[in-house]
Amino acid sequence: MAAPIYQTASGRLWHAGKILIVAVGLPARGKTHVSRALERYLRWLGVKTQVFSLGDYRRKHIGGAQDLPKDYFQTNEWSDDTQRLRASIKRGCENMIRAFFGPKQRGQVAIYDANNGTKAARRELAEEWNREGVHVIFLESVCTNQDIVEANIRSVKISSPDYKGWDPEKAVADYWTRIREHEQYYQTVDEEEWAWIKVINIGESIRMNRIQGYLQSRIVFFLMNIHTKHRTIYFARSGESLIEHSYKADADLSPSGWAYAERLMDFVLERRRKSVEARRKEDQSAEKNKLVVWSSTRRRSHHSAWPFQQAGYKVLQKSQMCEINPGIWDGLSPEEAMEQYRDEYERFIKDPYAFRAPRAESYHDLSVRLEPVLVELEQSQDDLLIVTHSSVIRCLLGYLIGLPPHEVPAIEINRGDLVEVVPASYGVHSQTLHFWEPTQGESGPEGQNALEDFKGENNGHQHEEPGAMDLPLEGEDEDERIGRKLFRDGVHVYAPAPDILVTTSTPTKEPHDT
Amino acid sequence: MAEEIPKHTPILSPLQEEDLLQVDAALKSIKIASQSHRTAPTSAPTPVIFAPSPVLPAAAGPAPAATPPKDVHHVSGAPKRSESLVRKQPFLAGSSLLKEFDEAASASKRAAELSRRASRDTTRPGTPPQSVMGIGKKVERPDYSEAKLVVAMVGLPARGKSYLSNKLTRYLRWLEYDVQVFNVGQLRRKKARMKQQQMGVKEDHSAIYFSSSNKEGQEARDALSEESLSNLISWLRAGGNIGVHDATNSTRERRAKIAARVAQEPGIDLIFLESLCDDPAVIAANVALKVTSGDPDYKGMSREEALQDFLNRIRQYEKVYETITEPHLSYVQIYNVGKQVTVSRIRGYMASRIAFYLLNLHLKPRAIYLSRHGESMYNVQGKIGGDSDLSPRGKKYAKALPGLIHDVVGNANLTVWTSTLRRTTQTAEFLPYEKLDWKSLDELDAGVCDGMTYEEIEAKYPDDFASRDEDKFNYRYRGGESYRDVVVRLEPIIMELERQENILIICHQAILRCLYAYFLNLNQSELPYIKIPLHTVIKLTPKAYGTDEERYTVPIGAVDTHRPKPGTHTPSFTKKNTTIRDYYGDAD
Repeated sequence: MAAPIYQTASGRLWHAGKILIVAVGLPARGKTHVSRALERYLRWLGVKTQVFSLGDYRRKHIGGAQDLPKDYFQTNEWSDDTQRLRASIKRGCENMIRAFFGPKQRGQVAIYDANNGTKAARRELAEEWNREGVHVIFLESVCTNQDIVEANIRSVKISSPDYKGWDPEKAVADYWTRIREHEQYYQTVDEEEWAWIKVINIGESIRMNRIQGYLQSRIVFFLMNIHTKHRTIYFARSGESLIEHSYKADADLSPSGWAYAERLMDFVLERRRKSVEARRKEDQSAEKNKLVVWSSTRRRSHHSAWPFQQAGYKVLQKSQMCEINPGIWDGLSPEEAMEQYRDEYERFIKDPYAFRAPRAESYHDLSVRLEPVLVELEQSQDDLLIVTHSSVIRCLLGYLIGLPPHEVPAIEINRGDLVEVVPASYGVHSQTLHFWEPTQGESGPEGQNALEDFKGENNGHQHEEPGAMDLPLEGEDEDERIGRKLFRDGVHVYAPAPDILVTTSTPTKEPHDT
Repeated sequence: MAEEIPKHTPILSPLQEEDLLQVDAALKSIKIASQSHRTAPTSAPTPVIFAPSPVLPAAAGPAPAATPPKDVHHVSGAPKRSESLVRKQPFLAGSSLLKEFDEAASASKRAAELSRRASRDTTRPGTPPQSVMGIGKKVERPDYSEAKLVVAMVGLPARGKSYLSNKLTRYLRWLEYDVQVFNVGQLRRKKARMKQQQMGVKEDHSAIYFSSSNKEGQEARDALSEESLSNLISWLRAGGNIGVHDATNSTRERRAKIAARVAQEPGIDLIFLESLCDDPAVIAANVALKVTSGDPDYKGMSREEALQDFLNRIRQYEKVYETITEPHLSYVQIYNVGKQVTVSRIRGYMASRIAFYLLNLHLKPRAIYLSRHGESMYNVQGKIGGDSDLSPRGKKYAKALPGLIHDVVGNANLTVWTSTLRRTTQTAEFLPYEKLDWKSLDELDAGVCDGMTYEEIEAKYPDDFASRDEDKFNYRYRGGESYRDVVVRLEPIIMELERQENILIICHQAILRCLYAYFLNLNQSELPYIKIPLHTVIKLTPKAYGTDEERYTVPIGAVDTHRPKPGTHTPSFTKKNTTIRDYYGDAD
């Protein structure tokens, strides 16, 4: 998604040139987690970014473990045939990266997720890509905490296609053997001559060498803020206000809105109680996080969180989370906006993400405004309930789920929906629960203004071309596309890493454990 | 805190009959605004507002749950727009609709409050705050009491420690954190000055004092450093947010002592900020600054003697200097500001934010130029907000601007930033430089007062008008912004400005006040009264210890839009000389 501050003529942001980030690390060290999180963030910043996974490439072009020569996974000695095979896979994957940087795709940051555990391999890579004018940064994931490794193996690795049909305990043991083999040859990154970032225990500590420039410092800033502690982020819209359609009036909640606020608190607390019970069934030590509530500084949003404040929860008001400013469309329904500002409205419908009505904010402007909130959201270790406006929820969900910008304005979020998002290794689990039906006479999900009430294709406009959801995005694979589509359908979303099976993809009423 | 508090009850309780009558009456006025409904309200069986609580059925009060009169459900269905009314009469402070609405909403709130009191149910949470009436209100400063951090500087003399700590202080203060620098050198000089004044003894603070082989000097310096740190911690405990321990802290031993001391304090974090510099030009400039800027340590010495002594002092430190490599410490290490940064063990919101700020700094010489848009039609009419075009005089300014900018900037590179409003892009129209527009540079949103004159506001809402003047920084226009809101939205702009070189910003009065306050280190109460006249270019040149300022006025007349704080005749702030170093710590 989006917050490009500006774009240079090359199409690459911040004069940062082409960057190849090479993920380095032993298996199950969170390389993929860090790579994916970074990809999501950089894309959101407007930087054309893509993860290239060697394992994924191999599976796609040759197949799973059963299709490989026996010595394929050995760490240093291979038969000539296997060596040739390995080299050709590597070359194939790296050629994809080359194409990504090429004039057609104009990619800016490629994240290369492979092993690269030896200094010799790294030297070869760095020298080769430097010659091609690509700046190379090694991004090493180090885990000094064995629990993280163990948890990673259990939650992710043993459900990989390589272990299909295995007994879980045996699979774990086998995986540890695989790690030990790698450990013998692994050399940590400490080369003075290359730029590198070392992420220790997924963000616990960051060390770096020769990092310069805005984009690179931004990457470091982001990495300083991510973590993998289990937590849940809830989103809900604010309750109905006395004057729904006026932005300027900043009206207080209607009585129905107050009742909504109460119901929201009951529901969230009940939901949390059940979630932690369910998690404790699987893991005795599962802790209950503290809950913090964020609202905007608009009255309808802050007062929807009022019962929480009264009950002693910390409620933070953030001015960056105010709803999208409708400008001259304040008070106008989509129909009215179309009637009174036909030209502008048509341009808006064509590009609802980037179009800015006079004196209004575009969804892009809103995303830019939300960026500091987003970093805070990444770094928060508490559970968060975000009670705010649909436009803001759309942008934040768009980031968390990794939706492309043009999808953002059409994300459906109704009053009475509680969206529960649990960040997981390779994306997020999300599901929408419903806790409130608008009463008769209440305006329901619509009734604010053309920007807040925008509904994409359903907005009374027929689109000839297939919905954007149905078309794969550039560089997106089928799983990712389905993930996006599922979200819109309100079921469940998982942004899966392509080399991993979806672990808990079945929609379920029960809380997940991750 | 405990999560299990299911015992709360609805905020609104069943109303009593007389309350309902009152509400009913109040709502009649709202209905003026809602003659037509987008969805016609059907006869709702039980409007939500008055439904007895399912959680606590009968305990709500003496009165039985009342059956509301038919009309009441209009409340639960919010008044819908009436097209003709909305178009002609939006909810702006200039129309009567806003007042009518406020009265009705307030009556409804009063009724709820009466009922709550009548119920005498102490387990129920208080009613929500009184709905705001009128055109805005004062907003409390956010609670930053949980942010407590010690930033301990590390570095040889003349390596830019003070530069970094000053920058950081200015940035954090601008964001309303309470920041204080505890400079060990200041403490030393202050104590020596006292001793001299009281006992007539002048201590020797020449290089000998700083030698590591001077045991007495060493002990005295250790004691001073510890005293300074404990002053800092007491200050944090008393409500401060970020204390900067400004000393050389050049050995592992010293840093270990600091870490051990702060570790005793729960809730206080520690990061080290090391400034490394091996650029001879930068060091020489810092040294020259030091010996020519009236440092009392060199009082009575010739410039040459002072220079020799200071270089000697640096050598004394260099002998024992150990750069930070301790793996267990949180630190940011800056090598030749802007060249290279190492960040280690930085966790937490405050610390990572500080680290990111420092990552964006550079020392390249540059200037930032600020200008308001040319005079606009709204300026001429005395109106605030809006998106009006330039006045004829404003257009003249736009035409004159390229010449002025060329005279001031010469052939250096320059990028022009504007807001997205017409009057700024029109002002930039003739400038032959790269231009970028930023939504976040748009003028402070005056909410319901947008498009009004101050006189109109004063006439319609005299009390509101006066209360804004009382505390302008904290006053948020209804449906709009406060100065604080603007500062929050400008923060990414500041980050971007720090890493840029020559920039000309053409935007608006309130926005420029906020930016100017950042560079000139002005506090929040003086910020809303900073004079930023029309048709004037302000050149800001960041320097080691502050910012130099020059103003260029274009001789094209314009209205004066500055409103001084009532009761004051001169601007309420006195411009501080921000480029002079404070050797005794008397300035704060």
